[in-house]
Amino acid sequence: MKKFLAVVKREYIQRVRSKMFILSTILLPAALSLFGIVPAIIFSIQTPPLRVAVLDQTGKMYGELKESLEGDSSDRNTQSDNTNQLSGLPRRGLGAFKLEEVHAGNQSLDDIRANLDQRMRARELEGFLILPPDFISNGKAEFFNRNPGDIVSLGALQSALNRATREQRLIDAKVDNKTRQELFRPVSLEAARVNGGSQARDANASFALVFGVGFVMYLSILMYGQIILGAVIEEKETRIAEILFSSIKPFTLMMGKLVGVSFVALTQLAIWGLAFSVFALFGVGVLASRGITARIPGVPLSHYFFFALFFLLGYFIYATLYALVGSMVTTAQEGGQLAIPIILILAVSFYLFLPVSRSPDSPLAFWVSMFPFSAPVAMLVRIVTQTPPLWQIALSLVIGFGTVLVIMYAASRIYRVGMLMYGKRASIPEAIRWARQA
Amino acid sequence: MAANEITVKLDGVTKSFGEFTAVRELSLTVRAGRVFGLLGPNGAGKTTTIRMIVNITAPDSGSISLFGQKSDPKVQDRIGYLPEERGLYRRMRVSDQLRFFAELKNVRGKVIDSKIDEWLARVKLSEWKNKRSMELSKGMQQKIQFITSVLHDPDLLILDEPFSGLDPINVELLKEVVLDLRRAGKTIIFSTHQMEVAEKICDDICLLNRSQKVFEGSLREIKSSFGRNSVAIRCEGGDGVLDDPALVSKVVRHADEAQALLAAGADAQILLKRLIDSGAVIGKFEMVEPSLNDIFITKVTEAA
Repeated sequence: MKKFLAVVKREYIQRVRSKMFILSTILLPAALSLFGIVPAIIFSIQTPPLRVAVLDQTGKMYGELKESLEGDSSDRNTQSDNTNQLSGLPRRGLGAFKLEEVHAGNQSLDDIRANLDQRMRARELEGFLILPPDFISNGKAEFFNRNPGDIVSLGALQSALNRATREQRLIDAKVDNKTRQELFRPVSLEAARVNGGSQARDANASFALVFGVGFVMYLSILMYGQIILGAVIEEKETRIAEILFSSIKPFTLMMGKLVGVSFVALTQLAIWGLAFSVFALFGVGVLASRGITARIPGVPLSHYFFFALFFLLGYFIYATLYALVGSMVTTAQEGGQLAIPIILILAVSFYLFLPVSRSPDSPLAFWVSMFPFSAPVAMLVRIVTQTPPLWQIALSLVIGFGTVLVIMYAASRIYRVGMLMYGKRASIPEAIRWARQA
Repeated sequence: MAANEITVKLDGVTKSFGEFTAVRELSLTVRAGRVFGLLGPNGAGKTTTIRMIVNITAPDSGSISLFGQKSDPKVQDRIGYLPEERGLYRRMRVSDQLRFFAELKNVRGKVIDSKIDEWLARVKLSEWKNKRSMELSKGMQQKIQFITSVLHDPDLLILDEPFSGLDPINVELLKEVVLDLRRAGKTIIFSTHQMEVAEKICDDICLLNRSQKVFEGSLREIKSSFGRNSVAIRCEGGDGVLDDPALVSKVVRHADEAQALLAAGADAQILLKRLIDSGAVIGKFEMVEPSLNDIFITKVTEAA
């Protein structure tokens, strides 16, 4: 036991003191916020408006179209229908339009087209739209575009055209103004969570939280799994293992390593959690005073406990897998290759949170939350969305930690024999034999 | 410790890896308070034998006892082991590193700090105490590794090729330390393929060749049993005489000296007379004990 603690202490102190730890503690939140901010910045880059000439042969469409494409965005959002909401964000920066009406006069359609085509080539126009006289009933129009790849603008144009056409068709059907506005009024859908009683809760926030925690979990497991892999290989490569094995059992050694590194991970998460709380307490107020609302979801205290528990489960399951890989290989490069399947398993079990969150009490959700490699994220999702019976949570934990012990036992035996066999990476059958014979 | 006390006893120990038998039916006895040389060429089975003694691997058959009992984790704490393949944590400071290895032997607390200082001073590395081990030269690292094997004051010290790669000054330094430890009553198992080194510090030896024991016993006894049948000669001319198989069974020529092993029944006086008669100018003619190397070769050929 004392030897176990010595290993735990060494792993913890050496790693927390290292530059890697300090850097990653600072850099990961920085990187995450960067991913949040950069896309918003990119979308807000102003491009010059697209100059589009419109030949409206129906004579009824141009006004509505111009209003909907050139009008300011807040105005547009209130009157837009649901299909438009998706393109609402990018249109703001990337899809600004400047329309210009072309009158046919007594020119032929071909002349007008040739004329517009020439102006487009002379870069006076980005495109032109021809609405034939029977457009309202037929719904077929032609759009000539210098840059056919600009699907964002095309989409914006199409939905504006849709809306204008629908409006016009209603007018033609003699629907009065008031009724039209009534028909287009958007609905609001609020998701509420059923929880025994009638208490409704903010499900959106809960889901965001699960996603966020799941993601942090995923990243941390990846990062700390790699650390475990490196630590096991280091002792083999530098041949420290032989001295260690003359003093301590391989199982105790590996357990000490995993526990020590888990404390490092928890320390880092605690720092991040603390930083987040400080942000929640002060940052939100500061932002609110500038007119930005950031909502911090209200979460029951028991959930924090489950987060910690299932984070540890996930960490231990994947860390032992990494330790197993480390015990089979001789160099860091080999370790990297052999670890790829682990990353795949991890990624798949992370994405399983989608079907599980959609139907948390389905048989799929049940089995996924019992299977040790997907249990950590899946069970967490179930707890947050629709808390399963306690026995299921307990069973999932027992299966998970039982698996950890089994993998760890195999890994420590392979580790010992592998260290004595020089130079060669173990094949799977060899590894199995080593685990038996050691 | 009584002179007859037995520290390590192997009885009919066999260990194989797949098809290859690394150690076959090996029995040996290491007496307390003596330096025991485990000798043999590369691949003879020395390291495998040691690994079984320190409980890293288990023998396939046979038994091993340490301090009169079966090996267990408690007994492991009384052993200091310096493997041939040895390493340090690259980024860890020397003092932290030494403390960690001592803790793995269940030694902890303030005692350790003064011991670390003491040992660092002894191997002349005091000023490197707070450096990371990756900043140390290979020889320095080796001395640190040596300290890790003695820091917890073990009763049994096992050294596998401890001097390889060290310069003569440091070899001398560590040799002194080893002999001091023996004086303090520690038992030392010393494994090497360098017979010249073993000859100078071992009390007892065990010769291994091709997984099997060739000879075991006191170095003194085996040397005297071979008698003084070897002659160190420095002379000019007279080469033909040394090549006469009736007189000399084997000649090893060094830079300015030759060592001649007398043929069975040959007399050193006759060899000297023949050399003088041949007109050789003799600078040195001395009866010497056979070297351990010679003994080893003789024993191996006898066994074959």
